[in-house]
Amino acid sequence: MVSEPLAIQARGVCRRFHEGEREHIVLDGIDLDVHRGETVALRGRSGSGKSTLLNIIGGIDAPDAGTVSAAGIDLTGLAERGRTLFRREHIGFVYQAFNLVPTLNVADNVRLVLELNNVNSVKASERINELLDAVGLADRAGSFPDMLSGGEQQRVAIARALCHKPAVLLADEPTGNLDDATADAMLALIDQLVRTRGHTMLIATHSMHVASHCDRVLELHNGQLEASTGR
Amino acid sequence: MIPVTYRASFSYLLRHPWQLALALLGIGIGVAVIVAVDIANASARKAFLLSMDTITGKATHQVIGGPRGVREDVYTKLRVNHGVRAIAPVVEGTITIDGMTLSVLGIDLFAEREIRDFTGEAHTRDAGASDRSTFFADFFLTPGAVTTSKQTAEDLGLIVGDVFELLADGKTRRAELLAVFPDGGNNALYRLLVTDIATAQEWLGRAGWLTRVDVRIDHNDEATLSALEAALPDGAQVLSAAGRTRSTSEMSKAFMTNLTAMSLLALLVGLFLIFNSVNFSVLQRRALIGVLRALGLTRRQLLAMILIEAALLGLVAAILGVALGIMLGEQLLHLVARTINDLYFRVNVTGVGVDAFSVAKGLVAGVGAALLAAALPAIEATAYQPRLAMMRSALERRARRALPTVTLTGIGLMIAAVVLIVFSGKDLVAGLTAVFLMILGFALCVPLVVRFAAIGMAPAAAALGGTTARMAVAGIASGIARTGIAIVALAVAVSATIGVSIMVDSFRGSVGEWLEQTLQADVYAGAQRGAMDPALVAAISDLDGVEAVSTRKRAWVEDANGQTQLRVFEMPRASYAGTEILDADPAAVWPAWESADAVLVSEPYSFQHGVGAGDSIVLPTGGGPREFSVAATFQSYDINASGIMMSRATYLRHYDDDTIDSLGLYLHNEVSANEIVEQVEALSNDWQALYVTSRAGLRQESMRIFDRTFVITNVLYWLTLGVAFIGILSAMLALQLERARESATLRALGMTRTQVGGMITAQTGIIGLLSGLAAVPLGIVMAWVLIKVINRRAFGWQIDMSIAPDILLVSVAFAMGVALLAGIYPAYRAGRSQPAIAMREE
Amino acid sequence: MAGTRFRMIALLAVLIVGQVHSDETAEPPSQLADLLGSAADARFARALEPRAFAFPDDHGPHPAFRNEWWYVTGNLDDEAGRRFGFELTIFRFSLAPTVPASSSAWRTNQAYVAHLAVTDAEDDSFYVAQRYSRGAVGLAGAQAAPLRVWINDWEIAAQAGTEAWRLRASDDAIAVDLELTALKPPVLNGIDGLSQKSADPENASYYYSITRMQTEGQLRIGERDYTVSGLSWLDREWSTSALAADQVGWDWFALQLADGSELMLYGLRLKDGAWDPASAGSFVDAHGAASHLTASDAEITVLDNWTSPEGGVYPSRWLLRIPRFDLELTVTPVISDQELFTTVRYWEGAVDVEGKRDQLPVEGRGYVELTGYSSE
Repeated sequence: MVSEPLAIQARGVCRRFHEGEREHIVLDGIDLDVHRGETVALRGRSGSGKSTLLNIIGGIDAPDAGTVSAAGIDLTGLAERGRTLFRREHIGFVYQAFNLVPTLNVADNVRLVLELNNVNSVKASERINELLDAVGLADRAGSFPDMLSGGEQQRVAIARALCHKPAVLLADEPTGNLDDATADAMLALIDQLVRTRGHTMLIATHSMHVASHCDRVLELHNGQLEASTGR
Repeated sequence: MIPVTYRASFSYLLRHPWQLALALLGIGIGVAVIVAVDIANASARKAFLLSMDTITGKATHQVIGGPRGVREDVYTKLRVNHGVRAIAPVVEGTITIDGMTLSVLGIDLFAEREIRDFTGEAHTRDAGASDRSTFFADFFLTPGAVTTSKQTAEDLGLIVGDVFELLADGKTRRAELLAVFPDGGNNALYRLLVTDIATAQEWLGRAGWLTRVDVRIDHNDEATLSALEAALPDGAQVLSAAGRTRSTSEMSKAFMTNLTAMSLLALLVGLFLIFNSVNFSVLQRRALIGVLRALGLTRRQLLAMILIEAALLGLVAAILGVALGIMLGEQLLHLVARTINDLYFRVNVTGVGVDAFSVAKGLVAGVGAALLAAALPAIEATAYQPRLAMMRSALERRARRALPTVTLTGIGLMIAAVVLIVFSGKDLVAGLTAVFLMILGFALCVPLVVRFAAIGMAPAAAALGGTTARMAVAGIASGIARTGIAIVALAVAVSATIGVSIMVDSFRGSVGEWLEQTLQADVYAGAQRGAMDPALVAAISDLDGVEAVSTRKRAWVEDANGQTQLRVFEMPRASYAGTEILDADPAAVWPAWESADAVLVSEPYSFQHGVGAGDSIVLPTGGGPREFSVAATFQSYDINASGIMMSRATYLRHYDDDTIDSLGLYLHNEVSANEIVEQVEALSNDWQALYVTSRAGLRQESMRIFDRTFVITNVLYWLTLGVAFIGILSAMLALQLERARESATLRALGMTRTQVGGMITAQTGIIGLLSGLAAVPLGIVMAWVLIKVINRRAFGWQIDMSIAPDILLVSVAFAMGVALLAGIYPAYRAGRSQPAIAMREE
Repeated sequence: MAGTRFRMIALLAVLIVGQVHSDETAEPPSQLADLLGSAADARFARALEPRAFAFPDDHGPHPAFRNEWWYVTGNLDDEAGRRFGFELTIFRFSLAPTVPASSSAWRTNQAYVAHLAVTDAEDDSFYVAQRYSRGAVGLAGAQAAPLRVWINDWEIAAQAGTEAWRLRASDDAIAVDLELTALKPPVLNGIDGLSQKSADPENASYYYSITRMQTEGQLRIGERDYTVSGLSWLDREWSTSALAADQVGWDWFALQLADGSELMLYGLRLKDGAWDPASAGSFVDAHGAASHLTASDAEITVLDNWTSPEGGVYPSRWLLRIPRFDLELTVTPVISDQELFTTVRYWEGAVDVEGKRDQLPVEGRGYVELTGYSSE
């Protein structure tokens, strides 16, 4: 266990936001180690800082203090462009709101990410086929997002998030917009894909049910991270 | 208390100040252009009418004569033999002081009280002035004594008592400012020198002649009028003063109508902009609208809310526009006045007169346009199901479904335009209406064309620039409800530029060719105003190197139907080729023109009066109205649709006037034109200042005036393009706002700022390209209509249409440029969009 | 003589005040004073010594002099005995001694002004009209042979083939068209026609009169025409004089007596109320022989006054006594109000005369001019 390298390592991460005159401390010295291949659920109430932590790990946001490294890359001190390139290559995102590009069809939504990573088009097509097959949407490659159901859209989003084989998958309430049955199927799909492909996953959720699918559950509370005490 | 619903709605606008500002600015500029043109036109017309009114004074009628005017003994006989009392003689003309042109009004102070007040209301105690009690005697006795308005004196830097020089009839004269009179309402008497009739005759070389006799006849006093008519000799006639003023001012009507049409074009483009803004504000508040509807806001309440908002927006913008328009109007006024002075009649403007009507028009146009533009989005918004209101894709689908209907309507409008052109005869307003129908119709077709174009471009774009480029292109096609309007606005503006550029270019080409043909002599020499000194004419004709001479005289004759310009020529037969005969055999035309009572009519005259070879026309002559046969129609691009070409022999037979305005000199082969120009200048220097130029010089000068005429047109189209630019800018900004989440997602997926910005730039560039391309056919059609319908109807010109490819290329490039420029800020903003936004719930 | 001077003022007043009426800072009287107080250009001719008069040449204009007039007054009756008076005066004025050369026929130094007045005794009415014009392009002018003095359509002109003059003038409300035949030769007033105006020798004019002219013709008032006949009086004068500073006005009489004699008399009033010693007159007997009267020959007594509704008190009845000719006449205006409201107000009207000559009763008619009485 100890010898296994860490997929995510955060030390003393702090993040403050200003609301007018008032300072609002969202993250107050977070230490986090996630091992490669591990799936971790991040629980907390709305506004507890789950998304902020995901953004910092994904290079979207930068901490005010502390260090973060992911996929073996130290994000500390990386400029915005560096973080973008890091994100493009090593991170997959899945959002509650799917966030597909409405003007691109299913295949192109996936292709977009591959293109950004300079995957040549033949290889990209193979990869797209493979992933759409994996999420069960091989027959909808030419459809546009607005023709798909919510569950289908989220599956496209998962394919898009995993197509470039990111080291880390960050999911923010991935089932929040789905009904229970679809949500369960979605979790099963994510679980299966992540585990079979060896991705590390950090999933933010307020749901115990979702968290129960993960190897480990952490609670974010008052800007501090603590191991879940269970229910 | 403002209802909460309204506050909710307004706060949206307030939170997007950029968009609000651009919408206001767009409508504002549209309104400003209308108001500016209206004010400029109205001010120029008012200045002219007011000045005519003031100078006409209490005169109800005017006795006029032939081209030289009325013989002065006609006036004496009216007073002495017929006891007519309420009449006053006038000798009018123009002079220049240091290059500034002024009118001279030569009057007999003894007769003035019946007609004018201002001529006697002179103040001599202005600045240590001469003894006031001798004013009358000084005015009457001192050759060169003048009075003028306070403002004019101030502008000339003169004070009472100053002696100064002026140029009249080519000669330098000495004048003395004897007194100043009040400026008259609105400076109606600006740039007017009043002097004794004797001085006026001396200066203007009009000994023996009056310009006219002003007459005051009491209303309904038909007896006096007919007695007066009976007392007049042949060739003199009495016309209503108001009628003369009217027919003079109407000479510029076509010009002003065209300007108004151009200003309406700016508003039309502004209208698209308003439509765009309101549409956006509705689209972007669809969530809010959905909530309000869900909470129980009725459709009618919603409609009212949107329309009131639009009306307020329109009102604020219109007030802004009116203020801007007044400022702009002042600038335009000078251009308008200059053109009128170049082409029609003298008008002096010292400032804009803003009348309530112009302002009201601007306000109504602004508010009306805003309401009109808001109506469609507002009605559409009310049609949303409360739930559906939240779905963006549904909107686009609706828009897409509506496209065929919109396109068909557009085609219908274009057909209506064609029908209108075919069936409206010579009506200028109908022609302009057709232009608008055509623009509107075409505009409605643009979205569909653009959609297909964008879809068609997608594979090519993907091949070239990958998914990013495809996204850019696809964004245009799928967002047609948003991008379409911006494209239409830009396309209309660019097409107007193309249309007008082609028109002006074709016109310029035709005029250039025509000048090349018409200007046959090697050197031209003429009096600046009025007639050439006969002795000087003889001396010039006798110069060594001059082989032959042609003479020219422009004479105005007038009757109750208005003024007609006679162009009187005597020229070597060889130069007949310079006149392009359009509808008869030149071999038969010229002998008749030389010796019989036959005239040639200009093409504009022919168009306006419906006469041509074989017809006959009646002209006022020294012996009363007389019939002349029309030998042929000749090509002419003179602005005056009233041109008639008459041989000098015929003219001398019918008019008591042997003066000559200018000479054309035909030189021996070995003689250089410049040499003769110098000789003529030297000869005329201490005789009478002449305008002397080689053929090339005259051609150049003619083209310069031609170009000057279109300055105002260019100004208006630049303004229209400005409105379109704002349209694109605000559309792109709104689009980016709308797609902030999309941009954020792309950023989260790993697109760099440059990549996102580049994509937006590509998108606006493509929008510009498509607008430019769409503008080409409309521009060409517009050029055709402008050339073949509008110019023909307005001025009677036949112009050959020629399309210079560079005009099209430049216009398309220009459209792209405008769009790219407008895309800079939105692209920058999109690049700055925070990827974190993607995390937030919608 | 003084009356003549007044007329010059009227002319200038029309020209100056009539045309330049907007300068509030300047008072018309002061302007007049300015102008008349100014010395005339030395290049004008002056009446300094007696000259030889020649007729008909001297009926024509004398443009070397600054001012000149043809002044006709007369008393007329229509066939039914309706009593009228008329005045037609044409003034010529040289506004400068010379005229610059010009290509324009309008260039001139000559200005003309005319007054027409008609008195209708029966209706107690008085009518006035005026004309002014430049003396150029045939609009107004004067010539000796044949005689023609005109301003627009008003004229005094010799009738071709007769000795008579025709006088024509009309306006909206009045018109006269009269034929005048001289019953006596011209009378040279003053000393052989040189009429002294004040003690200053420069202040003089050439002055002659035709004191009795048979008059026949038509007179119109409103829409009504009258065929009239009676006697007229012509005064002709030209000079370059200015008004003396101490003179305020004058009373001028031109009386035609039934016994065939005429009396012309003017009294120049000084500021201190006394008569200027330069006041003078002429007495013409029935045969046309004229005698010069000096101030000491005449005695003028005002018997009555008339107050103008516009202000100002005019004398309106006089007793004139010329002991040298045993003449004692009471002069009474035909109607009181014969005040002219041209630009400057004055009174000029028809009068009746009653009295005694050589102790025998005599009556007559005439014209009187009064200036310097209006409150202005």
